[in-house]
Amino acid sequence: MIPINLRLNGELRAISVEPHHTLLDVLRDDLDLTGTKECCLVGECGACTVRLNGRIVDSCLVLAVEADGGEVETVESLADPSDRSALSPLQQAFLSHGAVQCGFCIPGQLMAADDLLRHVAHPTRPEIEEGLAGNLCRCGCYYQIIDAVEATAAGAAGEQK
Amino acid sequence: MRPFEYARPETLAQAIALLEHEGGRARVLAGGTDLVIRLRDGTYEPAVVIDIKRIPELAPAIAEVDGLVRISGGTVMTDVADSALMQRSFPALVDAARVVGSVQIRNRATLAGNICNASPAADTAPALLVYDATVVCFGPGEERRIPLDDFFVRSGVTALAPAELVTAIELPLPSGRLGAAFQRRTRRRGHDLASVTVAVAIHDRGEVRLAFGSLGPRPLLLVGRVGDEADLIARAVAAAAPSPTSMRAGPEYRLAMLGVLARRALDAASASLRGAAA
Amino acid sequence: MSIGDSAPRGGGRERVTGQQLYVADIHLPNELHVKLVTLPCARGRIGAIDASRALALPGTHMVFSAADLPQPVPRFGPQFTDRPVIAVGETKYHGDPVAAVAAETRDAAEQAARLVRVEYEELPAVTTIAAARVMNAPLVQDPSLRPNDALAGTNVLREHAVAWGDMDAATAEAEAVVENTYHFPMVTHFAIEPHVFMAAPDGDGVRVWTTIQHPFWLQRVLAGVLRMPLAKVRIIAPDPGGAFGGKQHAKYEPLVAFMALKAQRPVRLDLTLEETFQAVRRTEAEVRVRTGLRRDGRLVFQDVDANYLIGAYADIADRVVGKGSYIGCGPYNYEAGRVVARSVLSHTVPSTAMRGFGNPQVNWAVESNLTEAALAVDMDPVELRLKNLARKGDPFIPFDTPCDGDWEQAAKRAAELIGWDKPKPEGRGRGFALGIKSGPTTGLSYAMVRIQADGSALVYCGTQDLGQGARTVLAQICANELGLALERVTMVMGDTGVVPYDQQTSASRSTVLMGNAVVAACKQVREQLGGADLETALGRLGGEVIGVGQARKEADPDHPLGGSAAFFEFNATAVELSVDEDTGDITIHRHVTVSDVGKAINRLQVKMQDEGAAIMGLGHTLMEHYIWDDAGRIRNLGAIDYRIPTSMDLPAEMVSDMIENGDGPGPYGAKGVSEVALLAVAAAVGAAVRDATGVVIRDLPLSPERVWTALQEREATLAK
Repeated sequence: MIPINLRLNGELRAISVEPHHTLLDVLRDDLDLTGTKECCLVGECGACTVRLNGRIVDSCLVLAVEADGGEVETVESLADPSDRSALSPLQQAFLSHGAVQCGFCIPGQLMAADDLLRHVAHPTRPEIEEGLAGNLCRCGCYYQIIDAVEATAAGAAGEQK
Repeated sequence: MRPFEYARPETLAQAIALLEHEGGRARVLAGGTDLVIRLRDGTYEPAVVIDIKRIPELAPAIAEVDGLVRISGGTVMTDVADSALMQRSFPALVDAARVVGSVQIRNRATLAGNICNASPAADTAPALLVYDATVVCFGPGEERRIPLDDFFVRSGVTALAPAELVTAIELPLPSGRLGAAFQRRTRRRGHDLASVTVAVAIHDRGEVRLAFGSLGPRPLLLVGRVGDEADLIARAVAAAAPSPTSMRAGPEYRLAMLGVLARRALDAASASLRGAAA
Repeated sequence: MSIGDSAPRGGGRERVTGQQLYVADIHLPNELHVKLVTLPCARGRIGAIDASRALALPGTHMVFSAADLPQPVPRFGPQFTDRPVIAVGETKYHGDPVAAVAAETRDAAEQAARLVRVEYEELPAVTTIAAARVMNAPLVQDPSLRPNDALAGTNVLREHAVAWGDMDAATAEAEAVVENTYHFPMVTHFAIEPHVFMAAPDGDGVRVWTTIQHPFWLQRVLAGVLRMPLAKVRIIAPDPGGAFGGKQHAKYEPLVAFMALKAQRPVRLDLTLEETFQAVRRTEAEVRVRTGLRRDGRLVFQDVDANYLIGAYADIADRVVGKGSYIGCGPYNYEAGRVVARSVLSHTVPSTAMRGFGNPQVNWAVESNLTEAALAVDMDPVELRLKNLARKGDPFIPFDTPCDGDWEQAAKRAAELIGWDKPKPEGRGRGFALGIKSGPTTGLSYAMVRIQADGSALVYCGTQDLGQGARTVLAQICANELGLALERVTMVMGDTGVVPYDQQTSASRSTVLMGNAVVAACKQVREQLGGADLETALGRLGGEVIGVGQARKEADPDHPLGGSAAFFEFNATAVELSVDEDTGDITIHRHVTVSDVGKAINRLQVKMQDEGAAIMGLGHTLMEHYIWDDAGRIRNLGAIDYRIPTSMDLPAEMVSDMIENGDGPGPYGAKGVSEVALLAVAAAVGAAVRDATGVVIRDLPLSPERVWTALQEREATLAK
């Protein structure tokens, strides 16, 4: 076991991890943060997307030890920091645009969308498609997800079509 | 995943010493986007994984030094794609870096790692070849520079000696004007492993460089002259050796696509050269 | 919020905050982790299983195999009790588990599973239709499992036939006959949530947590293999993370239940994505179609012969074949129709239900052939369809439910939205196809509504919310029936110990059947209130008002499918695309999908379901297929080499619309939705490719390579 320190969703944490456990394993199994999901385990589906040191990554391909001294943010951190019971505009937009069917891909989609909007304030639809290309949705909610991201960027508070 | 030990050397010397000591029992971890998959599927079973991301010399950096652009070993695809310097001087490489996997993958996958894996399908290899990349290696001996064309041996095998690390990739800034382009074939528009990769660089002095990947045990570079493009393409097709058993595409299609993509890359490179002249 | 409004998704908040608990997120104290052991071949005779090295590892609790089960090994299956709880005697497909390790941690289970040594002898296997049907082919199923069955000595599990009219007379009458054979590939569901199965002893019974679509059906199966009363088997079924039919029936629940009872501890099995590809898939098919018509475009007959390649165990695949093929002639009036469909066993992953339930395969063939038939008589393919389309009340399948919608309206709307009559931009092709699917043929749903003292309501339904939004729609119905604000309705689902019986969540039935049950329950509440206000009705003791309702569609033993269709799902799909003839790439510029929905209880959800189904249809149309090696093993397990559509693979424009005539049997005239928009995608795209390039391709997926190869052949033909 290797002791590591990290800032997780804003909180300093000191934990011990096995070298061969991924960040995904540790988040879900050791830290009880089950919002980040496990699916393909080869960095293709994006269900395990988290932010690590300011960049989104597939946490299934990051060894937990690599996060030592770093900063990790998961879907659980997206809600309004001043009021955790309030949804962020992005989360709200996902709901109002019908972007949530089974919901399993959604934490990853939200992390990718949130990251995109931090880098590009007003992404075009092709930019959104590309920014979210690493997040598979089998329910086929893509158009609604893209609409939600576009609406969030436009500052719309969830206009329904 | 089978358990292993984890080491995180803080200096280049420590890393090399560790690699020397562990030999074949160790694997180097940079971005992990290839390594972790192999650790999980059992292709690699190292006793120790050596994380090289804390080594200062490898910290992500793209800098111009004496007519060369030096990309440090820890530089990731996103850094390459976002760099104004790279976009200006090596657009075909930027195009390639942009399609390596998804955003999540590009934020971790290193350029050095892409070439060290020596997959024939490495997206960045053809562009690096046409841009005349050199690989800077550091090991127990002296630092050495290996032209990329000599660095690739065959699938999964490079010219790196045991206990050697790639510390940087150097690209000479073109003297004169260069038009370049990158093309590839995939099964879908979404991110995918390529069944054919092609890069072309046309120098205003008349040299044409064409490199392709995913059609044989290693990416190949051919050089020709403006005016002899058809011959260059023919030579490329003759040198290509597509796998008869690949899941991604059949050999006949791949050879045909090599011709199509080479033509498209040549046209695009020409156009960009003319554009640069304007 | 009233009916039709796009009410917020029930459970939506939990899903966007990461708080939604899927089965994988649930942990039980003291749980053991299971890892499956499989053989690297399509079919293997199982010899000795040496678990000694695995058991020597600290943390290994048990290595479970057929010998640990009651003998003879219990079997289960929704149609045939053919599947053993774990492989016995031989493994029958690549991925068929031969042993299961239970250990204290996931790591320990993985490590131990690698150390289990199984002696085996590779046996000849059949993995294609042709190989399975050859005389004296190795038999997949032990003939003794179906005594008195004339087909028992073959790999044909069952042959279904439906026919009407006089085919010989019709054949003589037809002025043009078009006959072709089409192939539909093997694809898999690839829900983003892999299956998870957990079991724990529960007093003298057992409790099971699973990603199941049919909790009550599973309860019956488990009670059967465990020989327990139903009341001692409790299924906890959280909302699955996508299912698409791949989570309908028991898979490894019986196995983990036996293991949990043996260990007297909770036991969990989380499948990897690769393992889900080896657990569930759609049925592959080869379909020969012979269409006869007159020169004026009147369809005379449709003659379909289909072989569906099912897997080593039947699961629900034979029902898929029978029900899907039954309506294979399509929504048209014919003088004669005939469909013969066979379920052919093979040493491959057991195929099961998948969105569309046997219809996509035959639709690809018949709709493609209709386009060919139209062109053969120089008729516009849309006009041909409209000319023959069943009208409301037409008994287009003589002994079944007549046409129950204004299908022409949907068809015309789709043609209008694609601009069928407008000139095409240069280099583009257009394709049009219709899809039809029978709704449930039997059904039984109970609902319970409990009105609390303050007027808020709890609604108990056994329907599963797989992503189709049942949670929302059923709440909307209750809210509407009782005049409640939607926020004052709480849905209780997913626990057989708590909610009353629901037959199953499939066949797009839930809005109709469970919806009607909810309406009935609310009616009973209103009857009890008798017009009085709640406080008065409750009286001094307070309490609650409880209403129970049911919706039932009786079985009809004389009907070939066991019952007529409760409704039909109908869809018209049209696409406009261009083909890069140098590479074979297809670019879809516009994809139109119009479904006949009766009444959209939640308009946004209907749109999401239809567009989602369309995108899933594009998957098998453009890129999805299993790749096998010569030894019958799957080569492309997992997400790297099995491609599904991403956000970058979408049609440039998706236009969906719905026809609402209030003519469905569900609440407010609703019909079921969510499958039919998938059916006609392939045929529409194939027709558009033909329109753009002249090439006809009868195999899927229309990958760039396949399209390019067809274009090369066209060039070769033209050059001659």
